[in-house]
Amino acid sequence: MAGADLKTASLSLQSVSRHFGPIRAVDGIDLDIGQDEFFSLLGPSGSGKTTLLRIIAGLERPSAGRVRVAGQDVTELPPYKRRIGMVFQNFLLFPHKTVAENIVFPLRMQNVARAARDERLRWAMKLLRLEGLAARYPNELSGGQQQRVSLARGLIARPAMLLLDEPLANLDRELRAEMEVEIRRYQKELNIPFVYVTHNQEEALTMSDRIAVMRGGVFEQVGPRDDVYRRPKTEFVATFVGQSNRLSGFVETVKNGAVAFAWQGHTLHVPHQGDIAAGDKAQFLIKYEDIEVAGAAGKGRSDHRSGNSLEGRLRDIIFKGQTANYIVSLANGAELIASASSRDHKVGIGEAVSLRWPETSGMCFRS
Amino acid sequence: MTSVGDRAEAWRRRAMSLLLWLLYIFLYAPILYVIYASFSVDIVWPFPPSFTTDAYAELFDNALYADALANSLLIGLGSGAVSTLLATAGVIGVLRYPSRHRGLILIAFLAPLFVAELLIGISSLAFNARLLGLPGNLFSAIAANAVEGTAFAFLIILAQLVRYDWQMDDAAMVFGAAPVRCFWEVTLPTIWPSLLGAFLISFILAFNNLEISFYNLGAIPTLPSVAWGSLRFGLGPELFALAALTNGLVFVLFAVMYVLMRTGIVRFGYRGG
Repeated sequence: MAGADLKTASLSLQSVSRHFGPIRAVDGIDLDIGQDEFFSLLGPSGSGKTTLLRIIAGLERPSAGRVRVAGQDVTELPPYKRRIGMVFQNFLLFPHKTVAENIVFPLRMQNVARAARDERLRWAMKLLRLEGLAARYPNELSGGQQQRVSLARGLIARPAMLLLDEPLANLDRELRAEMEVEIRRYQKELNIPFVYVTHNQEEALTMSDRIAVMRGGVFEQVGPRDDVYRRPKTEFVATFVGQSNRLSGFVETVKNGAVAFAWQGHTLHVPHQGDIAAGDKAQFLIKYEDIEVAGAAGKGRSDHRSGNSLEGRLRDIIFKGQTANYIVSLANGAELIASASSRDHKVGIGEAVSLRWPETSGMCFRS
Repeated sequence: MTSVGDRAEAWRRRAMSLLLWLLYIFLYAPILYVIYASFSVDIVWPFPPSFTTDAYAELFDNALYADALANSLLIGLGSGAVSTLLATAGVIGVLRYPSRHRGLILIAFLAPLFVAELLIGISSLAFNARLLGLPGNLFSAIAANAVEGTAFAFLIILAQLVRYDWQMDDAAMVFGAAPVRCFWEVTLPTIWPSLLGAFLISFILAFNNLEISFYNLGAIPTLPSVAWGSLRFGLGPELFALAALTNGLVFVLFAVMYVLMRTGIVRFGYRGG
């Protein structure tokens, strides 16, 4: 019942730009978001992701380009005519209104009759587990409750889409993890697109169907979250998403799309992205968890002929809870980090170890 | 060692509190004396104390003072309303729509504060009467007083509204509030205490004003002009009563505001954290 009349809703941006003088905050963005998508705009601060979100909401006018919501061109429409829901970083609940008044605010603005308003209010309070808080004022709520009220207000008017601007940035870690799961659940239940802005790659990876990694007003990569994580298109994406080791070296040969990468006297066989040729300086980035640590005892069966292997000594283990980071010092002085389950301590600190990964792991970029 | 330090500290504290009391006396002795004298039988040398309300009876018997009070109230209310309206619009404009010329705009709004009231009075008389051919009346007095009132109100509202989060208005607009509705539903309910404060100050300024009103009113009496005029006959007891009452009115206004703020009925911005 929640989203029955919203089947056609989706978002389409056509070469949208926003320039502030010489600064190109958003520079020629094209994007289509489907009806049932959880889409994240991920980027560091100043990358233009919030400006882009404000353009979608109508709070910012694009310098060029068109914005379509549910098939309708809304570029010229002011925010109050767009029927979009939004959740803000600092909640922005109206301080002089109670929880119930805050939540029904969008319906009142649309002059919805009181009976219908009350029914929607009950629905929203139940969905967001806010029962019993209707008469409270925002300053009498915890951060998590305020965020739920903010979500309820964003969703109550059956918006064509929900925009979320770093909604979890002000919550503590535990609450954030809980809300991540919940927000994704609401999106799947309501079946309207959510556009989620964040600088936190974990949030984006946890919740999204697709992610756009943004930098300098343009998309570095747009794709399903697995792609963005496993097959980064640019060095920036590889650095920004996940935790990676970075090896600087040069390309020895390129054969059938595979690169022989020279690094400190070792030759590694790695995949690559973009134009690259023998002799190019290059960066190889590989995620911590893509490297396997094995005790030197396993050295004998070095039948990993198709993979890469480096020898070193385990310097330390950083305990992270579910996982642990194994810091390995190589003979050449470099340190690589491998991440694995924290349960199976196959090797002890100070022991000789070997690091291994298949030729398909990591990504090499020309620098 | 420490006892010497403690003694020095104690002396410092005593000196400070003495200074504070001297300051209070400097500020309030004349006002308190007028109130005390207004209830005295002999207002010229009201010692030893003997009390009467004759001065007040004399004040209320004089019809001129009633007229003057009505006019002063009208000027105060009118000028307070105009000043608050203009200043609010000005502050919202300055804060909401950043401009390269913000500094100039601020100076333009605040400059009347630095012009002598006398000169504001003379120039508005010259402008209204000579150039526009308008007769001197309450309206031109209200307008002239609002020049200074707007500057004061602007300062007061600006100081408060820099704390207002305009994103609140963004939120209201995203949720369907057109600009006017947004102002009534979200902005005004949050900022009205500072508007009230600005209104009270500009009301009192215009209510108490002599010079600006005098030039724009001609023969129409206001409380300050009647008091000024009656000085020719010496310090009458009714002037003591008038001074005491006017001070009392101002005091009550601010006492009410203070109580409202202390009890949390009026609170600016976010409730709590």
